[in-house]
Amino acid sequence: MANDVKPTRKNLMAIEDRIELSERGHGTLEKKRDGLIMEFMDILDKAQDVRGDLAQDYEDAQKKINMARAMEGDVAVRGAASALQEHPEITTESKNIMGVVVPQIESSRVSKSLDQRGYGIMGTSARIDEAAEAYEDLLESIILAAEVETAMKKMLREIETTKRRVNALEFKLLPELYENQEYIEQKLEEQEREETFRLKKIKEKKEAEEKAEREAERAAEEAALEDAQPETAAQSPAANQ
Amino acid sequence: MSQEIAVVGSPEFTTGFRLAGVRRFENVPDDEKDERLDDAATAALEDEGVGIVVMHDDDLEYLSRSVRQEVETSVEPVVVTIGSGTGGGGLRDQIKRAIGIDLMDEDEQE
Repeated sequence: MANDVKPTRKNLMAIEDRIELSERGHGTLEKKRDGLIMEFMDILDKAQDVRGDLAQDYEDAQKKINMARAMEGDVAVRGAASALQEHPEITTESKNIMGVVVPQIESSRVSKSLDQRGYGIMGTSARIDEAAEAYEDLLESIILAAEVETAMKKMLREIETTKRRVNALEFKLLPELYENQEYIEQKLEEQEREETFRLKKIKEKKEAEEKAEREAERAAEEAALEDAQPETAAQSPAANQ
Repeated sequence: MSQEIAVVGSPEFTTGFRLAGVRRFENVPDDEKDERLDDAATAALEDEGVGIVVMHDDDLEYLSRSVRQEVETSVEPVVVTIGSGTGGGGLRDQIKRAIGIDLMDEDEQE
């Protein structure tokens, strides 16, 4: 609030420095926000494609497992699922996009050959193999979707934070600083006007005093002259005689 | 550090993923989802060995508000939902909030 600030030149200079810094920060943050939004748009396009593929892969996988269930029975499918030896693993590396650390997910042992799966070939049918293969493809899509969606979530958080900072500077901090600056400038101007007025008054008073003094002196001189004149007038007739 | 994929949902949903080798799964039968799905999702989210959690879109309806919000915004592990919807319902709201426009809607209209 403007009323909390002391109207001094020192405070005015400090506020001007803060305004300069805040304006520079506001500009930089705006650029960052715009840059992040542009990067986000690229990721969003990618995410839409990945989502489309994911939906397709899920549909295929469901069809195949339903077929396997229908042909082999649910127990056989569950039995095969319990026999799996190799488990898919993921490792995460990070990439930096405009200060936002986004993951790059590497997967291993997702797609497996028939002998790597672990269930016996004799006891199961090609339907189960097809379903397993479809689900392996689905897992690949899920890993890709996870990578893209994590990047999106992280970027959205950063965009939100940056946007909030930009708004705080634009609508809260900077208007307050401008208000304070104006308040101090007005107060200082007022003080300056008061000072000029006071000086003017002092000068007038001094001049009036000097004038009065001069007039008193003049009056005293005149009185002295008047006192001296009768004496000379009294002396002059005697001299004429 | 290598992590694994976890699947949370009904036994019908998880079986397929187990067939692809996923060994971390939480089976919650349909009639127990109201009571148990919250705990199952929380357990998967809190497991440090899990990098990705897979859930069905429809199952999000069974989650309590706080767990659902956690599921939708979690980054480590990230939750991928698949199924009937387009996915990323929470993400859509987040986009609307952060960017100010419903970009997903715009893309769908195109």
